[in-house]
Amino acid sequence: MNKLKKYAVIDAHNHLSVNAAMNLNRADAENVLRAADRLGIDTLCVSIPLTAPCPSPDEFIRVNNAVAEGMRMNRRFLGFCFVNPGYQDEALREVERCIVKEKMAGIKLYHQYLICDPIMKPLMRLAAGLGVPVLMHAGKCTDAESLKSQPLLSNALHFLKAAEMFPETTLIQGHIGGGGYWEWNLRVLEKRPPNVYIDTSGSVIDRGIVRRTIDALGIDHILFATDGIFEEGAGKVIDAGLSESEYQKLLRDNFQRILAMRKV
Amino acid sequence: MLFDVNTAIGHWPFRKLQDNDAPSLRKLLESHKITMAAVANINGIFYKNTQDANLELAEALAPHRDFFTGIATLNPAYAAWERDLEYCVRTLGLKGLRLLPQYHNYPVFSPEAVNIAAAAAQFDIPILIPQMIVDKRQKHWLDVETYVDVHELGRLCRKVPQAKFILTEYRIPANLIDESGKPLYPNLYIEISRLRSAYMQDLAKLAQALGSDHLLFGSGAPFKEISPAILKMQCADLSGQEKAQINGLNAHSLFSL
Repeated sequence: MNKLKKYAVIDAHNHLSVNAAMNLNRADAENVLRAADRLGIDTLCVSIPLTAPCPSPDEFIRVNNAVAEGMRMNRRFLGFCFVNPGYQDEALREVERCIVKEKMAGIKLYHQYLICDPIMKPLMRLAAGLGVPVLMHAGKCTDAESLKSQPLLSNALHFLKAAEMFPETTLIQGHIGGGGYWEWNLRVLEKRPPNVYIDTSGSVIDRGIVRRTIDALGIDHILFATDGIFEEGAGKVIDAGLSESEYQKLLRDNFQRILAMRKV
Repeated sequence: MLFDVNTAIGHWPFRKLQDNDAPSLRKLLESHKITMAAVANINGIFYKNTQDANLELAEALAPHRDFFTGIATLNPAYAAWERDLEYCVRTLGLKGLRLLPQYHNYPVFSPEAVNIAAAAAQFDIPILIPQMIVDKRQKHWLDVETYVDVHELGRLCRKVPQAKFILTEYRIPANLIDESGKPLYPNLYIEISRLRSAYMQDLAKLAQALGSDHLLFGSGAPFKEISPAILKMQCADLSGQEKAQINGLNAHSLFSL
């Protein structure tokens, strides 16, 4: 179980939650830390994305306040601020507040817009200016239910387009194992856009998924993550047959390199 | 002892599998310190005449009977399943029956399922039913996107109380406890590979609710990586005795080994 512990692992994609009053659910945060301890995970990048079609500024500010509270509660939490890019001015102000004042590490986007939507331009420009990554919920779902419920779910083709549109912005495609058609995503990303990373999280633990991800994008662009699905996240990496150097890059160094791009 | 109740050999047409023959799978499982495994033939999902898959399985397992427990795959909506079931148990030495209502196109609670479950109970073999084979969100365009509904399976459990059912690949949360805290379906056993453990302790909570004699270790190999299931057991807040039950004692009992 502690196989990962010696690497001071960074989980690049995880979450906190809020209670009914929209404050940080501290008990859940403790649960997350306990689970991380058991799997040998040191640092967790956390956000609280809202999955409704159009969350308001008031709503995304409140969840970001909860993330900031989590960061104060335990320094192992690295915050990612969530915004709805549809509210352009408010989203930009909120990103600036969270990154500069609250010292969050990045921006988390959900499926309100495709990552290559032109509406993203100001937000991506700001992210590049601040030197922080944009992590986006992503996947290529093929079942009717998911297609209906997530019509604006970004997949690898959208990321390829976004990589060209926003070449100065570091983009992280969330959870290769998030349930979508991961082999298709990887075939698309074989083009290896230089500013696109992918995280290994998600409940899908198809044999070989981590090795295939590395083969497609190169080890330098893969980030370890669990998305709160801890044993799957850790176990599929353990089973990937990585070299010592690959472990080091995947579990920590790659994300540290992204953190080092910060400009504020 | 670590007994994996959820493994398979054979060909999956929608994604290339590795280690999907008996010698390779055994080697893979043993590399994870798994000491025995129940194994079914993936081809039985697709052959119209599933008995051919059972014959293939028995032949493949012949050199590995010390390690593998063979699981027959039958379709109760197809011809001659009664004779096939008897042949699988008495002649081929298979010790469990797998049903795939979502692939073989009959309702999980149906006269066909009731009949074959009753027959399996007469042979004293458990019935394995996967909630899914793969996550439907990545389904191939020719694959199904139906998951087995736990409460539909529960109706079958109640209709055939003498049978023992193992739900594998159980992921969609369902309330399995009645208002007094007792299991809704006492003859339903759960394989653990898709339960959360370290976070929220779902595995341990389910063991407390249903009894640790009602959970079974399984990995889903070679479809899935194996270490996640092992980590789930390691992270579960359960006693050593409870873990021993889930890791193997329960399977030994169910398969009459």
